[in-house]
Amino acid sequence: MSNPSSQGPSVLQFQNTVKDYGSKKIGPVDLNIGKGEIVGFLGPNGSGKTTCMRLMLGLIRPSSGNVRVNGYDPISKHVEALNHVAYSPELPNIQTFLTPTELLTLVLHELGFQGDKQDEIRRVLELVGLIEYRDTKVGKLSKGMVQRLSVAQALIGSPELLILDEPMLGLDPAGSAHFREIFREFVMGGKGTVFMSSHMMNEVESLCTSVLIIHSGRILFRGSSSEVIRKVLDYSVVTVEAQGLQQETINSIKEMPNVSQVTINNQTIEIIIKGHDDIRPALSDLIVKSGAKLYTIKTADNMMERAYIEALKKNGVDR
Amino acid sequence: MESIDKMTRVDIIISFIRYEMKRAIAKRKVLALLAFTILLDTFPYYALSTATNGTGFIPLAAYPYIWVAGVFGLQPLFLNFTAILIAAGAMSEEYEQGTAELLLSKPVRRNDYFAGKFLGGFILFLIILAFNILLSVGSAFTFFGPQASLEILPGLFIVQAFSSLIFYSLAFMLGELVRRSSLAYIFSSAVFFASFIISGYLGLIFSLTGKEFYGTVQIYLPTSPANSLPVQYASPLLPQTVGIVLRFVGADNTIVPTIELSVAILLAYTLVAIGVAAGYFWYADISRRMG
Repeated sequence: MSNPSSQGPSVLQFQNTVKDYGSKKIGPVDLNIGKGEIVGFLGPNGSGKTTCMRLMLGLIRPSSGNVRVNGYDPISKHVEALNHVAYSPELPNIQTFLTPTELLTLVLHELGFQGDKQDEIRRVLELVGLIEYRDTKVGKLSKGMVQRLSVAQALIGSPELLILDEPMLGLDPAGSAHFREIFREFVMGGKGTVFMSSHMMNEVESLCTSVLIIHSGRILFRGSSSEVIRKVLDYSVVTVEAQGLQQETINSIKEMPNVSQVTINNQTIEIIIKGHDDIRPALSDLIVKSGAKLYTIKTADNMMERAYIEALKKNGVDR
Repeated sequence: MESIDKMTRVDIIISFIRYEMKRAIAKRKVLALLAFTILLDTFPYYALSTATNGTGFIPLAAYPYIWVAGVFGLQPLFLNFTAILIAAGAMSEEYEQGTAELLLSKPVRRNDYFAGKFLGGFILFLIILAFNILLSVGSAFTFFGPQASLEILPGLFIVQAFSSLIFYSLAFMLGELVRRSSLAYIFSSAVFFASFIISGYLGLIFSLTGKEFYGTVQIYLPTSPANSLPVQYASPLLPQTVGIVLRFVGADNTIVPTIELSVAILLAYTLVAIGVAAGYFWYADISRRMG
């Protein structure tokens, strides 16, 4: 069921990689992430997402198998592997006595950055909306601001691969939208790659070019959002918002090919269809001809979430 | 190209040194130690000058060497303990707070991080040590007049720093091994006090029984060379009259027979501790936030 292949030249590779904690084993994982992708890494808590990320960063050693980042082992060739790789951890722990400027200065030193450090710090702080707080101690920043700072320290320098563990956690909707835009721009031109874990399915569906679902360290599904949905779900859902629908029209919808269920809630109708045939053109024709006012007709927003839950169910995970 | 890389690595290590110093200062531990140093290097001199004024308890000939009391009196307990307090948290606190993960997810060599942390903490210790020496001499001057033989101070500073490396390294190693600062403090202090106390008992048994075994074991305990070396270095450079001051602060005897043996024991403990810590740090996973 897993599909470890990638599209561009490989930047991340797992070959039969296992991390054995004694009480828990993650893997074997086989994975290839190509350049220019935005990969959404999904899985329930404790499924091995963070372990995989920490393996990529050389923070932990695999018990068996290999990990390669940019073709290098991140343990024995840490500097070579992580050159142009940046990481933003989940719930980042940043020393509270540092200011954003001090933290970013330290990071630039770690990166061996040769350009104008102050300019670069200003650039990323403006990018993440923290410029006004550049000299405020981290201990006095809100959770969302610390999250922004964590992403800022990942974006500074000239990274080509961003490894992001729940990057939108604690952000307000405007902040999330802004970060989505930053990540999209980052991969534009095919130079940058983003590998991010998230529990926010909508974020993943709207942002990621590829989705990975992991459970107990095993990759269950891999593909684009629509591919994962098609692979996992044997049905699709269409929602219609219309005014003036008569019972006769609703009966006609129920009689359409493959329609298995129609649920009405005020002006909104949810239609479940067996398989993945697109009935929207025929459906809109039917509604418009009935004389009702059609406002919207679309695939349900939460298909990725349904697919994710179904994928886990199929693998014996109830929640 | 290679020299640029070397420059970058030096730059990275210096960044970690600065970071570690700033981190330790932010923990306020160092400020507390400095405050304690001020107390220990001023009040006893004041009390001594007030209590002995005109009593002849301290011969006038010893007055120019009274600085020795502060400089040597603090080494056995306070300075070694200060080294433990600074070193035990250097690595372990980063694991506890989860901050090591972020720093080590960058393209830096673990060795550079290790070196920066070790040196950063040790430089802070050197500052406290220098402060202790200067304050002792200053207080001695203030309460007992001009001081003599001060030309040995730079050498003595180096020797005391070297002597303190043993407990600094042991505490640093334990901090890395247990990765919990409270445990690291407890274990390091236990080693220190156990060595201190056992040394006392062994010395007593040796003097009572004359059995070489007890004397030999006593020599190789970590407190023995740490406390012996500064006295071994300074004694030949100071006049006989200093003996009374050293006796007064309990630093008049050296347990290790030769200066070479003291250096060798200190080096052995220090290098083994650094080696174990570096090896474990290199091999072990970087743990996530604990505690």
